[in-house]
Amino acid sequence: MPNIPVTFDNSWLDPLTERMQEDGPWDKWELFKLALEAEEAMAVHEFDQLQSLKYLPLLSPFPHQLQTAERVLLDMRGRAILADEVGLGKTIEAGLIMKEYMVRGLAKKILVLVPASLVIQWTKELHQKFGIAAVAQKKEYMWRQHDVVVASIDTAKRDPHRRHVLDIDYDMLIIDEAHKLKNKRTRNYQFVKEIRKKYCLLLTATPIQNEMDELYNLINLLKPGHLGHIAAFSSNYVEGKRQSKNSEKLRGEIEKVMIRHKRSDGGIQFTSRRVQSVPIELSPEEQALYEGVTRFVREQYHAGEGGVGGFNSLSLITLQREVCSSREAAFMTLYHMHQRTAENSPVRERILELVEMIKRIDTHSKAAKTVELIQRIDDKVIIFTEYRATQNYLQKYLHDHGITSVPFRGGFKRSKKDWMTDLFQNRAQVLIATEAGGEGINLQFCNQVINYDMPWNPMRVEQRIGRVHRLGQKRDVHIHNLSTVGTIEEHILNLLYEKIDLFEMVIGELDEIVERLSLHHSLEENLIQIIMDSRSTKEMALKLDNMGHAIRAIRQTQLRTDPALSEAADQ
Amino acid sequence: MQQQQVRQFVERYLASFSAHIVESHPDYLTVKLPVDVDKDIGNRPFYRSWIEKMNIPYHQPLVLTFAFHPDRLPEGLRAEYLHLGAARMQQIFASTKKHGRFLCMYEQKAGTASASRRSTPLVPWLGINLKVSLLCDKRRDILLYLGINLHNPRVVRDFTSFLFRLPLTPTIPDYFYTLDRRITVAQALQMAEQEVAEVLRQEDQAWAEEARARLQEELAILEAYYAELARREPESAEGNAEEAAEEERESAVLGEQSGEEQAEQDQSGQKSQTPADQIPSMPAPAPEHVEQPQSSDEYRESGGRILDFLRANGIQVTPREEIDQQEWKNSTPDEERQRRMDELAWQYEPRIEVQFINGGLFYLASAPPAASALPSKSGSKSLASGRIV
Repeated sequence: MPNIPVTFDNSWLDPLTERMQEDGPWDKWELFKLALEAEEAMAVHEFDQLQSLKYLPLLSPFPHQLQTAERVLLDMRGRAILADEVGLGKTIEAGLIMKEYMVRGLAKKILVLVPASLVIQWTKELHQKFGIAAVAQKKEYMWRQHDVVVASIDTAKRDPHRRHVLDIDYDMLIIDEAHKLKNKRTRNYQFVKEIRKKYCLLLTATPIQNEMDELYNLINLLKPGHLGHIAAFSSNYVEGKRQSKNSEKLRGEIEKVMIRHKRSDGGIQFTSRRVQSVPIELSPEEQALYEGVTRFVREQYHAGEGGVGGFNSLSLITLQREVCSSREAAFMTLYHMHQRTAENSPVRERILELVEMIKRIDTHSKAAKTVELIQRIDDKVIIFTEYRATQNYLQKYLHDHGITSVPFRGGFKRSKKDWMTDLFQNRAQVLIATEAGGEGINLQFCNQVINYDMPWNPMRVEQRIGRVHRLGQKRDVHIHNLSTVGTIEEHILNLLYEKIDLFEMVIGELDEIVERLSLHHSLEENLIQIIMDSRSTKEMALKLDNMGHAIRAIRQTQLRTDPALSEAADQ
Repeated sequence: MQQQQVRQFVERYLASFSAHIVESHPDYLTVKLPVDVDKDIGNRPFYRSWIEKMNIPYHQPLVLTFAFHPDRLPEGLRAEYLHLGAARMQQIFASTKKHGRFLCMYEQKAGTASASRRSTPLVPWLGINLKVSLLCDKRRDILLYLGINLHNPRVVRDFTSFLFRLPLTPTIPDYFYTLDRRITVAQALQMAEQEVAEVLRQEDQAWAEEARARLQEELAILEAYYAELARREPESAEGNAEEAAEEERESAVLGEQSGEEQAEQDQSGQKSQTPADQIPSMPAPAPEHVEQPQSSDEYRESGGRILDFLRANGIQVTPREEIDQQEWKNSTPDEERQRRMDELAWQYEPRIEVQFINGGLFYLASAPPAASALPSKSGSKSLASGRIV
């Protein structure tokens, strides 16, 4: 072909000549044939046909994911923003595209930049679903030693890692949660701009969060100048911060670099969530303990650290939460508190009183109810609790009632997590997980979740449910919330469930709402303040109610403004 | 490759190493790996090198079970699902390429020779199998099986499928003799190169033209963008340039300092620097010592110890005092434009790579059909990318 450089491999000439002179050693005819057949099986016979699927017999991507991979390959030439809504499997799309370019021999050196909390999960998914030997970056030498490296952007941008990353020519760069690069003045943005790359995928569910400029910045990272200069972009397409004009034309331009599928597009079926509150009546002794602890916590909290007990507010809040979970959890904290107070302190006596109350209790209404529930469900169940003491107790309690269970904690090593997941899938009926156990495991084979205690941070509730309610879950997901009547737990559940319809929200929606609430503190801290500062149950209920209204209001406005805002982004 | 083919392939592969099949079940296969296979697909280089270094005469053979159906794994056995994309399958492929690279075969024509009891000449052919890859931002491969007559120089295509129809043997049969080679293998290679050029000339060139058009289009956008950037924000460009210049001056000063330091070190008779010291500060290119001239396998085969290899070739951890979070320099718009242009060329620029798959000498009594030497244009594509099996 004219003007197309041809490199002809003739490294074989010398070895062959040598063998001819020595008359050997010669290889076997059969292996010669096999080598040819292998080459034929691997050859890419067509420019425009997805090759990766024949290498992934165990993967069954959804049609929209295949469509995305094809469009990126054929129309976008390997540089694209993947902006599907949350939960539609952007990781699968990115993995498919990555595999495709690897199979074609067009990408070898690949960098995946993700938030630190997702590094392990990405590495694992690339291994398990795509057979890609990705490594999580830990040591400096790994940048060079390994072809596919998954790292957090915050590590990568820091010296000495930065100099390695900026020195390597990456065949492919993938960035997850790319909306974090919306501001072009940040280090992260500038760092990513400096990375040399051939193909590039930016993954985000929210290409525009607040302003049109964010989208411009993202696209400029991918293809500088695609939308012209920022001033030209503004005058051509931007009406107000959140309003676009010449939408048709803009959409055309954006379509060239961005793919966005929405749940509402159809074709993607999510099973529904069925939420159920399970009210639990405490026995008189349990009720007494709860009230005793609550009173104690309030007093000490208001006395402050300078008070008689000198407890910091954190351990008091913990105690308050624990007593809602189980008496075992509360006992451990009380024990530690007792150890820490001076021997002659009057507080010590109060603590001992509470401990005595614990000793008097011989029922465990919540655990009994749980057993009853599990027996009724008669299927795999995941129980979430915040506390290890509760977890241990529950495991024993379930065992005593003939129910097999395995524990799961965030502190487990990866291999142990996998082992426990495996045991749960194949041997045990129940998985008892503490909070941190959430990330990085997929438990779609289970569709029953029991929230044994309620986290005060709604995001954590969402994460819990997200473990089972995701793409790949084939059944409706049942969520059972245990709520002890007349406790804080009941109020929290009331707020999360009744007031803000947390469980009915689409995955990811809460994220945005909380971001827009622009609270000075996190939602959780606000809850703590309300609970601790309220002098009466009534006051607390009222304040929580107000909070619920605020969230609702934001959600309403969001639903209204959203169409206008994302008009440009959506196709 | 269908699962049935995968299984047949693996069975033939194992058979050619005379592997001991422990169990052959319709759904799976248990095999004791022979040494050569173990080396290629066993994933235990350290054990292997230990065996060799210690001169241990026996070794514990690896026993593997390959399952060919993902849902029907044998019970009580650690089986791995083998399919085209499995890492083990890729290793097997690589192993066949390594052990099926060069051949020398003779045609054994039954009947004629022994009947007449007269010697029959065999014509020397060079058979080479090539993978021609058309590359831009996409890729297509064309497999070419060329045969070059070394006695009476000419080139035929699809030579290997012709070979498959002949009875071949690795030793020269009785009552046969070989004709002399009138051209060298190097000359034959030249003929092959011409043939490849001819095949490429007949190929549809739209892919390359499209790729070039795309490249031009993208370059034009880029050109316009940076021109506008320079026009609208000249100050930012200058600012950056000044900043950069300042930093350059600083780094120049630093460079001198380190030069002096080095001189001092040399004077004080210190040993040469540790590799870590040689890592230059940004934005200088990476340290040279990370270039690895050979793989660890090659190194080990040549008798080196793994630890020595890692010491010599590993990337040292940058010492703490050299880590500098303050040091940060953005590219100037010019540098940025240049980088982007390089990226675009890298992505789109059409190019062709011709790789050698395997080949060898074939002494033949039969002649390949001459018609395939110059196929018509319409037939060329199917021939060129046709399958032989």
